[in-house]
Amino acid sequence: MTTELAEKSVAADTGSMMIEVHRLTKQYGDFRALDTVDLSIRKGEFVTLLGPSGSGKSTLLNLISGMTSPTSGRVVINGVDATDMPTNKRGLGMVFQNYALMPHMTVFENIAFPLQVRGMKKAEIETRVAEVLKLIQLENVANRRPRALSGGQQQRISLARCIVYNPSIILMDEPLGALDKKLREDMQLEIKRLHAELGVTMLYVTHDQDEALTMSDRIVLMRNGRIEQQGSPETLYFKPDTVFSADFIGSSNLFQGRLEGEGDTVTLTAGKDRLAVELRSEAAVGPGDEAVVLIRPENLHIADGAIPEGTNVVTATLLDTVVLGGVVRHFLRTEDGRQLVAQVLNRSDRARPKRGAPVQLYWQVGESRLLKADPTFSKQ
Amino acid sequence: MSSGDSYLSKRAGGMLIAPLFVLLLVFFVYPLLLTVWQSVYENGFTTRPYEELLTSTLFAKVLRTTFDISFTATMVSLFVGYPVALHLSRQPPGRRVFYLMLVMLPFWTSILVKSFALTVLLGHAGIVNQILGYLSGDTLHVTMVFNRFGAIVGMINYLLPFMILSILGSLLAQDPNLARAAQVMGAGAFRIFRKITLPLSMPGVIGGVIINFTLSIGMYITPALLGGRKDMMVANLVDFYTRQTLDWPLAAAIAVVLLVISGVLVALLGRVRGGSGTMGAMA
Repeated sequence: MTTELAEKSVAADTGSMMIEVHRLTKQYGDFRALDTVDLSIRKGEFVTLLGPSGSGKSTLLNLISGMTSPTSGRVVINGVDATDMPTNKRGLGMVFQNYALMPHMTVFENIAFPLQVRGMKKAEIETRVAEVLKLIQLENVANRRPRALSGGQQQRISLARCIVYNPSIILMDEPLGALDKKLREDMQLEIKRLHAELGVTMLYVTHDQDEALTMSDRIVLMRNGRIEQQGSPETLYFKPDTVFSADFIGSSNLFQGRLEGEGDTVTLTAGKDRLAVELRSEAAVGPGDEAVVLIRPENLHIADGAIPEGTNVVTATLLDTVVLGGVVRHFLRTEDGRQLVAQVLNRSDRARPKRGAPVQLYWQVGESRLLKADPTFSKQ
Repeated sequence: MSSGDSYLSKRAGGMLIAPLFVLLLVFFVYPLLLTVWQSVYENGFTTRPYEELLTSTLFAKVLRTTFDISFTATMVSLFVGYPVALHLSRQPPGRRVFYLMLVMLPFWTSILVKSFALTVLLGHAGIVNQILGYLSGDTLHVTMVFNRFGAIVGMINYLLPFMILSILGSLLAQDPNLARAAQVMGAGAFRIFRKITLPLSMPGVIGGVIINFTLSIGMYITPALLGGRKDMMVANLVDFYTRQTLDWPLAAAIAVVLLVISGVLVALLGRVRGGSGTMGAMA
């Protein structure tokens, strides 16, 4: 009954939805690679599937591309039920980590391939290939073999081969995984630029949280075959719903303990520290429950004189300081052995605390976030 | 990079291959040189055997027959072997090992045994003809041994594993993402085969063809046992001159000619292999 209703409501708003996945499950023997996942992607949206290896993100991508078929559930592409449609009828584009360019074809022949499949005239193919080579700023390599090009160039050719036939959706399976850091950052911007220029829907798979934060309109964080949390990069960074989300995206300082007290602000006891936290109804924890409080490194301050009102204070020893260009990271340890990270902007005129020195750390109660304790998750 | 990096010194490595080297020297290189020597020495240096071969119509005919049979056998082996290799390449690794054992089975059986087994199968009173006779009401009998058909069937039985392994190698070396990418781009199975799988498997095809042809032109027992009287191959001609006419210099000259042809083919194979090796490394 409920699924029937869900299917009906889906049919009603398919107009703006490019991909819809309903209760999709993929079982390999005893292992459930994907577990009743629901996901909708709007036209023109840039969605990233983020998660550790084995979280189900590649399985989900393969089910959408049709390279594997689901154990149960439906895949709807552009309003059409594509669950049983063969891959080559789905009208998709895909970019692979290892580029997957045909080694026996020239760059021109590679990009022309999908157009030939579509039965396009020779003259038109030539114009289209030239256009798309110009778009990726690789006009001079048309007659070269892919292997004569650098990794970054090959990946741009593989992007060109994808956008040349205007697929409604482009799937990307860790496309920048084989490139070095600098090139990866350039390519991230290039892909973002193409996405903005072409207005194409993109579904991007990565295990790199920085990449996901940089590129996405929406991040879908996956864990053990399920969606842990989805939302904008800001939401996932500042408002994680779970300990896993908090830990996977960005760095985090986590204190776990039992909640006590009454009212909106309660006390969490973690080892020797008693910390004030604001209750949140969505966190679904209250006095008596085991909970976790999250403080992002940029909200954890090292006391330098008077400590402001409305803060929690803990004492720690400075273990190490790392300068990362514009920011400085301080690694600290509390008396009961808890590792903490504090991050400040780098200023040439500011004296830094000495290594081994005891320091007072504080944070605004409002800048921490209360999360439900997760017995299946341990940071260490 | 340098030999100093390997944990065996050059000298120790040399010691390890020394026994094999001596064995080959005594039982392979020496007889080979002896054969070459015999073809040019009859109470002094001579070119008589080679001159005789140049003008011999028998040799020309046998050489043509040899090429003819070898070419046919190689082509049949290619067209039978390619689908098998393609099928094998698409199996999960465990099952592929099992199927490969089946492919290799004829390899582990003596050529003599196989040839007699084929006579039993294909002979006039063989199983195949019995079935044909039963089905056709005793009107249909096909002569399948002691003619060219029999020779080729017997040869293919021996040649197929070489063809299949060579093609399989170049099929397995292909990046499976290529076919996936083509599929996503909308290409159907036939187009993917024609435009991607087949062209990328050409090094394996050419390699298999050269190996098969080289093996074919030197074949002796199989065509002798299963072939017809008219289908004399070069190796059988060597046998004829050695045992029937006792013209050993002529027999040696034929052997040398065969050796040179095989040598050229093997050299060609090396070039194909080199090419496929670099292609594999680039992919």
